Amino acid sequence: MTEMLPRPTARAEPAADEIPADGRRRSHTFPPESIAQIQRMAEEGHYEIRGWGAKRALPSFDDLTFLTASISRYPLEGYREKCETRTVLGSRFASKPIELDIPITIAGMSFGSLSAAAKTALGTAATAVGTSTTTGDGGMSTEERAASQLLVYQCLPSRYGFNLADLRKADAIEIVVGQGAKPGGGGMLLGQKVSDRVAGMRTLPPGVDQRSASRHPDWVGPDDLRIKIEELREATSWEKPVYVKLGATRVTNDVKLAVAAGADVVVVDGMQGGTGATQDVFLENAGIPTLPAVRQAAAALREIEMEDQVQLVVSGGIRSGSDVAKALALGADAVSLGVAPLVALGCNSRTYQRDGISHDATEDYRALGTEPGHCHKMHTGQCPVGIATQDPELEARLDAAAGARRVINYLKSVTMELTTLARACGKSDVHNLEPEDLVALTVEAAAMAGVPLAGTNWIPGEQR
Amino acid sequence: MCGIVGLHLKNPALHGQLGSLLAPMLDCMTSRGPDSAGLALYHDEGARTVMDVYKDVGLPKEICARYDIASRTGFQGIGHTRMATESAVTTEHSHPFTPTEQLALVHNGSFSNHATIRRRLVREGHVFDTDNDSEVAARYIADQMTKGADLDDAMRMVLKEFDGFFTLLVTTSSQFAVLRDSFACKPAVVAETADYVAFGSEYHALASLPGLAEATVFEPSPEVVYTWSR
Ligand code: SF4
Repeated sequence: MTEMLPRPTARAEPAADEIPADGRRRSHTFPPESIAQIQRMAEEGHYEIRGWGAKRALPSFDDLTFLTASISRYPLEGYREKCETRTVLGSRFASKPIELDIPITIAGMSFGSLSAAAKTALGTAATAVGTSTTTGDGGMSTEERAASQLLVYQCLPSRYGFNLADLRKADAIEIVVGQGAKPGGGGMLLGQKVSDRVAGMRTLPPGVDQRSASRHPDWVGPDDLRIKIEELREATSWEKPVYVKLGATRVTNDVKLAVAAGADVVVVDGMQGGTGATQDVFLENAGIPTLPAVRQAAAALREIEMEDQVQLVVSGGIRSGSDVAKALALGADAVSLGVAPLVALGCNSRTYQRDGISHDATEDYRALGTEPGHCHKMHTGQCPVGIATQDPELEARLDAAAGARRVINYLKSVTMELTTLARACGKSDVHNLEPEDLVALTVEAAAMAGVPLAGTNWIPGEQR
Repeated sequence: MCGIVGLHLKNPALHGQLGSLLAPMLDCMTSRGPDSAGLALYHDEGARTVMDVYKDVGLPKEICARYDIASRTGFQGIGHTRMATESAVTTEHSHPFTPTEQLALVHNGSFSNHATIRRRLVREGHVFDTDNDSEVAARYIADQMTKGADLDDAMRMVLKEFDGFFTLLVTTSSQFAVLRDSFACKPAVVAETADYVAFGSEYHALASLPGLAEATVFEPSPEVVYTWSR
């Protein structure tokens, strides 16, 4: 068993007003963290690279709450009355749309960034709960194809490991235009993770840093994307749904263009979305949060009257059933999870299991300059719990079957949370959640989500 | 929180009594809906069928007197007493909702996904009079029928598209239809004789009808569309 983190009890730092107005007075513009960053850059001469997603506080689904039923609306019973979670993606053009039991999918994470055991565990878990998983920037591994009943094959700018044989083995295709963690930027895999096998799949030399392009080599803009999509459809006999994944920036325009180019499904990845490795400056300063992104994307689909034909998948920092319910209420058809299932697998856990014995990994986290609960060190390849690594020693710390069980438990719990909220809103189908079921707790969230501030009828920016 | 009643007269000999039979039925529903009430009554004028709608704020008894419902004649009628839930107490917000000249709908319950369906209908050019959830169902059925569905099919589409709780009574120039959601927890009773089909949210609304002792009385099953045609 991995071990749960202790709950935080006290504030780690004194509040700002407790800081003395003497020689230790803190600068707001140059707090110790900024000073440390400048010192590091002066020392090393390059930007910081790390994994995970944006770490700063952003407006999020936490700023929304549900108006559940009472007298004017009636709730559904928790155990007796069914709340449907089935979800179909890709019904626009594909002859074989993806049919999911739950509206929660596993996002693309590359074999290379993740270990084979981690990919297998994610595939096994997704299959057990009736959902899909996604390849990533590095091709389709045999293990994950075998483990995943429904596998989405990504087509990324790098085209690492992208080939016709695997394309035909996929259940859906996802053209990745951008990622929420780094919209407009390319991928990165540092040399320490480029094992012989990873290098082989990517047809690149082992041990050398690999950068993925930020643009596709054969198309730029919607006109050429249209041709690319058609090419992929032709190659797969118009059977497989084609998703287009966007990093959330100019969401309204991008969603419309993706639809115009022929997408069956649009995936919008918000600013909180994770990654294996990119520049910290990118993670914290590019794109818009998932909350406004889902609202804009849903509005764009409605504007062009495609919300019933093109499905919207939303990702970026989704953790719980309430996050899923709020995304669905704002117009998503499904969500995609990346970091959260890794945490379920054991990411950031203090301990790992090996041969039935629990081992403490704290020292290994510390060697990376972090602590359990704070780690974002995927890029190092030295993942203390065997998830984001290609080192056979470390990889052995993750047992795929045990990891899969944890991810299954996690996904089931999230689904139960989702249906609990939907039933309380009087819905017999989670897809019947609507923006009118939500209010916002902050003015910012009200403006971004386009729902009233709690206790008022006021939607900032809306004419009444 | 509402009361609904309806009467479909098969026997033309009873047409003269439509209003006098329906008014006491509506009055029985006062406690379920004291805010406003309304009726839609159908009668023939030569070859034409005419639907008249009466609705107002106040108690059913007052409204029936104000519009002299007891003296009205015709072959069918539906009525509704309203206890407002999420929209205002006004005449416009009162049932029946009549999106076309021949279609009337009364609803007891509460839909939980009507905002989404309303958005779709508005985009298709439908104009709403109120923010009432029942109006969405009425316009939805009218829209389905304009697109070629018969009343039966349109009601079945309601079952597919609308979430929440509902007992619906819908009439057209020739039909009288009842539908309940899958939970069927909003009450409904139907009594049928050779002379009429009567509907009430509660049994006592039917008690004043002639020949009730011989009627087939049943509670409509969930998710079944019941229709009677002239
Ligand atoms: S524990 Fe492993 S997977 Fe989790 S953040 Fe650290 S390196 Fe990444």
